[in-house]
Amino acid sequence: MTSSETAVASREVPAYLEFSFTGRALEYFGIWIVNLFLSIITLGIYTAWAKVRRLRYFYGNTWLDGHNFEYHARPVSILIGRIIVVSLLIAYNLLVSVSPFFGLLIFLYLLAFPWLLNKSMSFNARMTSYRNVRLNFRGSYWGALLAFVIMPVVALLTAGLLFPLASKLSNDYIGRHLGYGSARFETRAPLKALYGNLGSTILFVIMVTLVCAGIGFVIGSSMVSVGNMIEKGGDELLDVLTFGPITGALIGGYIALAVAYLFYAAGVRNVAYNHTVLDGKHRLTSSVGRLRYVWILVSNLFATILTLGLLRPWAAVRTWRYLASSTGLLAAGSLDHFVDEAAPEGSVGAAEFFDIEGIDFGL
Amino acid sequence: MIKGRYFPAGSARVVAASLSGTRDRLVLHLENEPDAADAKLTSVSDPIAGVPRKLTFADGGVFEAPLGADVDGLLKTGGTFFARLTRLEANLGLVAAVAVVTIGLVFAAYRFGIPLLASGAAAITPAPVVAAMDRGTLETVDRAVFSPSQLNAGRRRKLQAMFEELSQLAGDDGPALRLELRQGGMIGPNALALPGGTIIVTDELVGLAASDDEIAGVMAHEIGHVRERHSLQQIYRVLGIGFMVGLVGGDASQLVDDVVTQASALQALVYSREFETHADLYSVGLMVKAGRDPLAFVGLLDRIVRDAGGSGETGWLATHPGTKDRREAVRKRAEALDGAGETAQE
Ligand SMILES: [Zn+2]
Repeated sequence: MTSSETAVASREVPAYLEFSFTGRALEYFGIWIVNLFLSIITLGIYTAWAKVRRLRYFYGNTWLDGHNFEYHARPVSILIGRIIVVSLLIAYNLLVSVSPFFGLLIFLYLLAFPWLLNKSMSFNARMTSYRNVRLNFRGSYWGALLAFVIMPVVALLTAGLLFPLASKLSNDYIGRHLGYGSARFETRAPLKALYGNLGSTILFVIMVTLVCAGIGFVIGSSMVSVGNMIEKGGDELLDVLTFGPITGALIGGYIALAVAYLFYAAGVRNVAYNHTVLDGKHRLTSSVGRLRYVWILVSNLFATILTLGLLRPWAAVRTWRYLASSTGLLAAGSLDHFVDEAAPEGSVGAAEFFDIEGIDFGL
Repeated sequence: MIKGRYFPAGSARVVAASLSGTRDRLVLHLENEPDAADAKLTSVSDPIAGVPRKLTFADGGVFEAPLGADVDGLLKTGGTFFARLTRLEANLGLVAAVAVVTIGLVFAAYRFGIPLLASGAAAITPAPVVAAMDRGTLETVDRAVFSPSQLNAGRRRKLQAMFEELSQLAGDDGPALRLELRQGGMIGPNALALPGGTIIVTDELVGLAASDDEIAGVMAHEIGHVRERHSLQQIYRVLGIGFMVGLVGGDASQLVDDVVTQASALQALVYSREFETHADLYSVGLMVKAGRDPLAFVGLLDRIVRDAGGSGETGWLATHPGTKDRREAVRKRAEALDGAGETAQE
């Protein structure tokens, strides 16, 4: 192979670039506790500054190809957004408690949901940059209505059988309307892979249930002494042998269902990212281990609760680092030709509404 | 001078560059371009651990200083709030001190701050709003749970008269008190107080009572809830706790949210126990004033417990937890009031 052939080959074989997170738990603990302290003594007003500082830390310490991400929102506008959202929520709750009739406003909310969602996505995308070029989001009302209001309802009505279709629509919708400067993303999540993911999720629930039933059996049978068994006869034995596994299976099934969502979501992320292309040539990759992801979030939860929140910074850093390192970009050529362009600014109020309501899209 | 890299306005292209000069006159020198240019600074990103500082110029170009570059030294911005904050966050000793103070603050807010704010907020909630809440709630529960009382007119009049007597003794500091009699349906022998002064007593509870004093005791207890604004305080406290939890785990994921919701529900129960005790004590005071037996309603409680028996906690118990501990407290208060009354008479 001559040197000129090597040059051609290296240009055609895309370079694999891995996302990485350089934040450290102890470092973030300092930021987190200072944020918490200032938020308390300002009766919550500082939370807007705290949010910006937190996101600037996480985005800013996330690197790809020697460049970091940036979060640009201004705390004052976040604060204004929060005040508007909180006032509206209070007013709504007051109205509902004054007369249940106002509960009907929920339909208005459902109709406004796609619009709110687009405004929120636009804002969040617009506040994110990489290499001096901002992300942007140009949604469509009917697309969002189908993907985020109609499809989830249909999926529930079909007892979950259409969940993969709902996941496809929502991820394709987000991918298709997201842009990086003047370049567009394009997501085409294949249904087959999404159904495969649903199958693994069901298998996961069954396995966890069975394992817990086994543990229940071991615990149940160790609790009764052999002497007791002989004395009381076969009935007692039967009770013990069935009680342990059934209890174990019930608890296990409950836990499995509670975390199945995480397992499923991690799988959907992989499928969606792996079928997302930027500017027609750069491919995103995601290789989140579904079991590992569930383990990280569940152990984070216990660590956070057992330390009354003190390990929350460690848990947040741990999750973010894992997700970043599981994400990559197959770059076909250099990334320096992107240029920014004017795009919808979105609405901070809509973004804060989803933030306060704890509604989150994607991982 | 700071060596870094430069992005032309709106472009992902990078050029090696250096920045020198003073705060008032910055000079940007791009590699491969012979002429250095004066650069008019419009904004600088706030410092935060691990993140390179970015300086934006009037023409939209951005200069990125490498990590650790002394941008604050060049711009003389070392004294800004975020520059100080970043130094504080990196100082482990100070962070530990802040952590200790914050833990103390969280505890104090939970133990004293939130209850105090809640009772303040309850006191200033406009009366028309509270009255409207009563109408709304009554409308809802009438449709969902209750049906009209089946007690005969004479019995109803007697109960109203008894309630009237207690309300008069309770004074008019707060919303006007009103008694509504209903058939309880699924909630069985029960009594509840709405924040605007509406008190609902079910036929089943009246039926279970062995004496008027027992019913009066329950009424007095519910009047206690209204006069001490327990429902409103409860609403505000749950809001406050939710807010605190949001502060601590603000960036938390779905899983944490679920658990937190469960925990707040549990917290609501803890608070309501505290309110129950207060309402009991209020009831004792009011019953003594009315010249009725303050301990009578404990007997009614016992009967509800027995009645509920195998079917689990239903009726008054579900909304009024902790019968056992409460009886002792009621007895003590009654004895204390009794003693005080006797000394006063002598
Ligand atoms: Zn009560």
